[in-house]
Amino acid sequence: MTKQTPNANSGHGQPEVARLSNRHILGIEGMSPLEIRALLDRGSYFADHPTDSGSTALRGKTIVNLFYENSTRTRTSFELAAKRLGGSVLNIAVAGSSVKKGETLLDTATTLNAMHPDILVVRHNCSGAARLLSRHVDAAVINAGDGRHEHPTQALLDALTIRRRIGRIEGLTVAICGDIANSRVARSNIHLLSTLGANIRLVCPSTLLPAAIDQMGVDVYTDMESGIADADIVMMLRLQTERMAGTETPSQREYFNLFGLNKDKLNRAAPKALIMHPGPMNRGVEIDSAIADDVEKSLIHIQVEMGVAARMACLEAVSLGAA
Amino acid sequence: MTISRFYNAHIVDPSQSIDGIGYIDIVDGKISDLQLGTPGKHDTVDKLTDCNGAILAPGLVDMRVQSADPGAEHLESLSTLLAAAAKGGITALACLPNTRPVIDEASAIDSLCLRASRIGGPRLSAYGAATKGLLGAEMAELGLMADAGAVGFTNGTTAIADSLTMRRLLAYASMLDRPFIQHCEDPSLTENGEMNEGETSTRLGLIGMPSEAEVIILERDLHLVRRSGARYHVAHISTRAAIESVRRAKAEGLGVTADTAPPYFLLNELAVSTYNTAFKLSPPLRSEDDRQAVIEGLADGTIDAVASDHMPVDRDAKTQPFGPAAPGASGVDTLLALTLTLVHQNHISLSRAIELLSLAPSTILDIEGGTLMPGATANFILFRLDSSWIIKGADFASNSRITPFESHPVQGVVDFTYINGVQAYPPAELA
Repeated sequence: MTKQTPNANSGHGQPEVARLSNRHILGIEGMSPLEIRALLDRGSYFADHPTDSGSTALRGKTIVNLFYENSTRTRTSFELAAKRLGGSVLNIAVAGSSVKKGETLLDTATTLNAMHPDILVVRHNCSGAARLLSRHVDAAVINAGDGRHEHPTQALLDALTIRRRIGRIEGLTVAICGDIANSRVARSNIHLLSTLGANIRLVCPSTLLPAAIDQMGVDVYTDMESGIADADIVMMLRLQTERMAGTETPSQREYFNLFGLNKDKLNRAAPKALIMHPGPMNRGVEIDSAIADDVEKSLIHIQVEMGVAARMACLEAVSLGAA
Repeated sequence: MTISRFYNAHIVDPSQSIDGIGYIDIVDGKISDLQLGTPGKHDTVDKLTDCNGAILAPGLVDMRVQSADPGAEHLESLSTLLAAAAKGGITALACLPNTRPVIDEASAIDSLCLRASRIGGPRLSAYGAATKGLLGAEMAELGLMADAGAVGFTNGTTAIADSLTMRRLLAYASMLDRPFIQHCEDPSLTENGEMNEGETSTRLGLIGMPSEAEVIILERDLHLVRRSGARYHVAHISTRAAIESVRRAKAEGLGVTADTAPPYFLLNELAVSTYNTAFKLSPPLRSEDDRQAVIEGLADGTIDAVASDHMPVDRDAKTQPFGPAAPGASGVDTLLALTLTLVHQNHISLSRAIELLSLAPSTILDIEGGTLMPGATANFILFRLDSSWIIKGADFASNSRITPFESHPVQGVVDFTYINGVQAYPPAELA
């Protein structure tokens, strides 16, 4: 097969379009460092050229955003990314309606398949849902978050954010703090950052630590101050408030006291440590408001911006099929 | 009086410690004679069958089968279940009370057994529900169900969580001289659980069910058994800790027995890695160490029996994400061949395999079968030990075609199943 050069600007110094060995993006686990770097390179190019990238990879193509969970942030990010590449976007929010009527995920998939979309972006509350869909539709599938499993585009945008700010990922110490057990963001970030050579620490109460997580090549801390000591990046995760009502942790007050990020704790991290959060934040619960808004230290708004760029790279890559 | 003779058979009967070439004679549905060696002459015999060296063994007694009938006949009717069992070499089976309505009173046992006997083929027995509606609270009419032929009591696919209820049930079942069959799984540890807890569940983002959930219920029950003297049976045992617990209880002399099912000695939790819901079972597939412990338990006698754990599941309930998908899989078609894998892998002898599949379950439940002793009912099978085939759910005689062993190669083909001396498989018109 001849190598495709889908846009006219190739050869003018911009990074090559990322090509993937799989036609879907279901997770970071299993992606090679080369594939990840190619997506990040391309994502960085799109970050510099959000509206003048010259790529029309999705022209004439239909992208369906199929969201079984509410997520304004991720859905609009995918929508904007697709439109910037010339694609037509159809948003379908399934939360509640069809599910309650008894329509199964595969019924919906069959219906959608009949519309012949080119790319299906799916978010679902069940782990493995994106993979299941990928086996029953003709479209390429991008996982926009499946249960507790993976959220690959979030990890890519996080890596893109770090790389553009610090210039590298290899050798950095990244502390991921919060509800690890229920977090797909944590899993995707563990896979991606460790694939690119970062040292990963997990910081969380022992009740939110998934089984055998240490076998994924991470160091585990249940003490926040030692967990973020000398860390280059402190990545905070959202903790659902219902998990702080005496089940996984005793109370919000205790959680913020032990595991919330405030100025004192942050002083333990490396002097130029940066703060990230996938959003939406529980201000005053897992992160002090002043820190979240500190433009010197907080990358939270840049993460949102990088979300569009990283997703442009992903959409462009899957639009070309498996390499 | 008609004498049928099956000669030149490799007879395996652990009840008499027989393992060799010989013949059996059948008269009036019963075994009239069994001899090793070659018969001198056949003059007095009316019907002669040359077995060509095939294995002749007592028919399988499957002690854990779920019937979808009554209540979910669209999944499987009693007649397809019995036909599939006969094809699988099963001559007797015990059904769980998890039907709709629940088998929690004597008339339900009567009805199911009567309908099965009208269909013919493998002999069906039933367990009585330990609690009304299987809700785990009020005791069902165990005495009346025992009179109606309940071979034991169980809460089906859930454990009795409440300790006082369990204590009373064991005492009452003991009075009625029936075993109590427990699905050992602490519900509070496994509620919402999706697979075995461990590295795989963490990678897949599936909610883990800790393996301790099995031994916690088991150990509690053993303390209660020690006091009540009840006969207690652990269904589909799957973890090393629980197996070691049973081993200690047996050494102590408690009336404890256990069975397991083929997935627990042939598969482990890694099978779930692709979210294939055929691997969603209850209890969940465990770690490789647990699988090895199950094999050790089968070999050293800690685990007494192997059952199919046959559970008809709607295809729609399986074509779901892993979490909401229903647990369970078909089992009667493949019980013998899968268990023989342990023989081919030299973990157990052929005689031990037959003991696990036939003699032991018939003894535990006091169901007819498990022996070729002269005088016994002629329930036996003829099978080729080395004939290989590939498991395909689509080819099952059972209407329930979801199996965790799809495309799995096995050895061991049932050629004939005889019940009461009459050929039950292949059906006579096809023979």
